[in-house]
Amino acid sequence: MRKPGERNAPYWSALWCVFTVIAALLFQAAPTRLIEGITLMPTWPLMVIFLWAGLRPYFMPPIAVFAIGLTQDLLTGAPMGVWALSYLVSIAVFRFRGEDGMPRDLPPIVLRFAGTLVLAHAIAFAAGSFALGQPADWQPLIIEVIASILMFPMLAFLVLRRRRSRSSGFGG
Amino acid sequence: MASRRASRHDADGGVRFSRTIFIMLIVISSALIMFDRPASRSDAFASFRAGFTDIASPLLELAAQPIRAVKGIGPYFRRQGDLARENAELRQQLIEARYWEDLAYRQRDRIEVYEAALNVQTAATEDRIGAWTVADPQGPFVQARLIGRGSESGIADGYPVINLYGLVGRVYETGRRSARVLLLTDLNSRIPVMVDRSNTRAILIGDNSEYPRLEYLGRDPDIEEGDRIVSSGDDGVLPRGLPIGRAVPTREGGWRIELYSDQAPIDFVWVWPYVRAEQPQAEPEPAADLAVSEAEGGNANAAELPADAPAPASEADETGEEPAAAAVEDAP
Repeated sequence: MRKPGERNAPYWSALWCVFTVIAALLFQAAPTRLIEGITLMPTWPLMVIFLWAGLRPYFMPPIAVFAIGLTQDLLTGAPMGVWALSYLVSIAVFRFRGEDGMPRDLPPIVLRFAGTLVLAHAIAFAAGSFALGQPADWQPLIIEVIASILMFPMLAFLVLRRRRSRSSGFGG
Repeated sequence: MASRRASRHDADGGVRFSRTIFIMLIVISSALIMFDRPASRSDAFASFRAGFTDIASPLLELAAQPIRAVKGIGPYFRRQGDLARENAELRQQLIEARYWEDLAYRQRDRIEVYEAALNVQTAATEDRIGAWTVADPQGPFVQARLIGRGSESGIADGYPVINLYGLVGRVYETGRRSARVLLLTDLNSRIPVMVDRSNTRAILIGDNSEYPRLEYLGRDPDIEEGDRIVSSGDDGVLPRGLPIGRAVPTREGGWRIELYSDQAPIDFVWVWPYVRAEQPQAEPEPAADLAVSEAEGGNANAAELPADAPAPASEADETGEEPAAAAVEDAP
């Protein structure tokens, strides 16, 4: 059972949530290829959505997930609605339910994230192909999935460690 | 009642993942995908997208600064060992470049004389507009860059974008303070090009790979490996002669292009405000002295040639093009 204080004044957590979402979106669109050696780009916004939906589900209602996806569409030049739809559906299917929310062990979190990631990219591929009128390029999607699966455990580990050290949760 | 409430609000002490809102947003997303298709995007959607990037571009510019600051660190340390060799190569290139510079000045002077004599209305090439890349999304749907200059700086849709090495792409979504550049590698990119050596025409088609392919080359194209490919200017949207890349044969017997612009990451670019040359409405009147010689019974050149000599072949005859079309296409 969550402590009542967790939902009473989570202002710092809310600020931290907004900051991480904006940072993830900006980093997704930033010209990182200018730096030699960086050619893989994980799906940062989905990682952030997934972690916040597990830690503080009331920070990630459907409208927030939709807004993040739509912003990513606009920033990256993709047809509007592609990432919004894929994030909405995948998070709705794979989000943590129940009173305890996200478990405290890494493997089940990584496993569930992998499912979210694959579903999100499959929907994005289908929706993007429909919008483009021809099959979208699947190679960047595969690269994104692999990069995200490689990167996510580290991020999730840091979040879980912080969560253990502060019982109030991620950044809060 | 409790179970129904739990299914609707997810039983997490008031945490709402409302099914109604969820379904509504799914419908909105689907509608957006349906109506924001790149091939049939309405002006309203294009304006909204451009407006959004206008708002986001200062933030993206801010985020790009630290990346731009550290981009040279890796290559700098690695290149120290190669400096002496690189210096010698650059000196040699400088000597060669001086020869080409002289040649370019001479050609420019000649062209100016010809244009003045013929009163040719050439395509206007105003000063280039420099811009930094502020976003470089690595997505599967579009190969584009966002630059931090827009219509306020004189940029408009269709203008060619070049970097230090060659053509990068074309502007396709212009906001007031930002613009999106469709790269030559994008699925929707189609550029009329030609082989610089033989004037063989083709269409450069992007397919999201690093090497866009050449199509519509004709039955027996005069093209060889390493040939320089430039824009042909046939569509009138791009100026003629912009360097694009070198021809590379494929295993399947086709041709692809290794882009010059890929020699370095696309960071600083120039947008080239290019206005298409107007086609003359009527044929120019013949010069007075030519009219006189024709009235006297033939032209002077014909009189100097032997009777059985063939008429001098024009450039249009050699290329097999109509004279008027060739004249329009040859306008720089």
